[in-house]
Amino acid sequence: MKVQVRILDKVTILDCSGDVDLYSSPRLREALLAEVKAHGPSVLVNMSGVSYIDSSGIATLVEGLQLSRQTKIPFGLFGLRPNARSVLELARLHKVFTIFESEVEALEKIGSVQPFGGV
Amino acid sequence: MMRIVLGSEPRLLNILRAVVKFRAQEAGLSKSDAEYVALAIDEAAANVIRHTYGSRHDALLALEVHNLPDRLEFVLEDWGPKVCEEQIRPRPLDELRPGGLGTFFIYSFMDECSYDPNFKEGNRLKLVKFLSRKGAWCNEGSSANSG
Repeated sequence: MKVQVRILDKVTILDCSGDVDLYSSPRLREALLAEVKAHGPSVLVNMSGVSYIDSSGIATLVEGLQLSRQTKIPFGLFGLRPNARSVLELARLHKVFTIFESEVEALEKIGSVQPFGGV
Repeated sequence: MMRIVLGSEPRLLNILRAVVKFRAQEAGLSKSDAEYVALAIDEAAANVIRHTYGSRHDALLALEVHNLPDRLEFVLEDWGPKVCEEQIRPRPLDELRPGGLGTFFIYSFMDECSYDPNFKEGNRLKLVKFLSRKGAWCNEGSSANSG
């Protein structure tokens, strides 16, 4: 798994690719929590390159969401592949996270996302 | 039947997933159902590494795959301390907290899940996926997990 960080229109975007599992999720956790703490004013996770995510990866995203709520930083995901979306739906987390279809939509709307979720 | 033995290293879980997905598709499951079954077996193996072995990476776990006419059986063995089956419970999904979804996914994507009480030297977990049942979304009564 790879995580690359870029800043676009003052939004921090984490581009993730590969498998997010027990082995790789600590790297995502480290990067995600650091960016939520350090940057803002908004953080997005680009999931379009994520081919697999397990419960440890989902736990990492939940941690990011919780920290963003504490720090009042809008937080969202975009580019979810069908398998990742399915496991989030099964865990009933698709309504907890703010999920955008594309980067364009995410950049357009993230500014209006309330830190507690929802647009 | 095939049997593979791996070290208890998280970086090896992708091998386990690839084997399970391949065997599941070979048995006739769709690509997406095969991926869900691979996720369930991955979660079970991850639970062994994290909880049974306490994240030790110098232990072993074994996976057997039995391709039967009506079902796929996966048998996961470890040589760690005995698991208390009663303590393995999915957590309520309305709790927003990191972790605790692994067991939920196992119960969701597999049709049967049981420990062999006669396995003396560790834990022997049998996970079954019936081939005739369409879709992996079973056990809706389960409401989440511990691992």
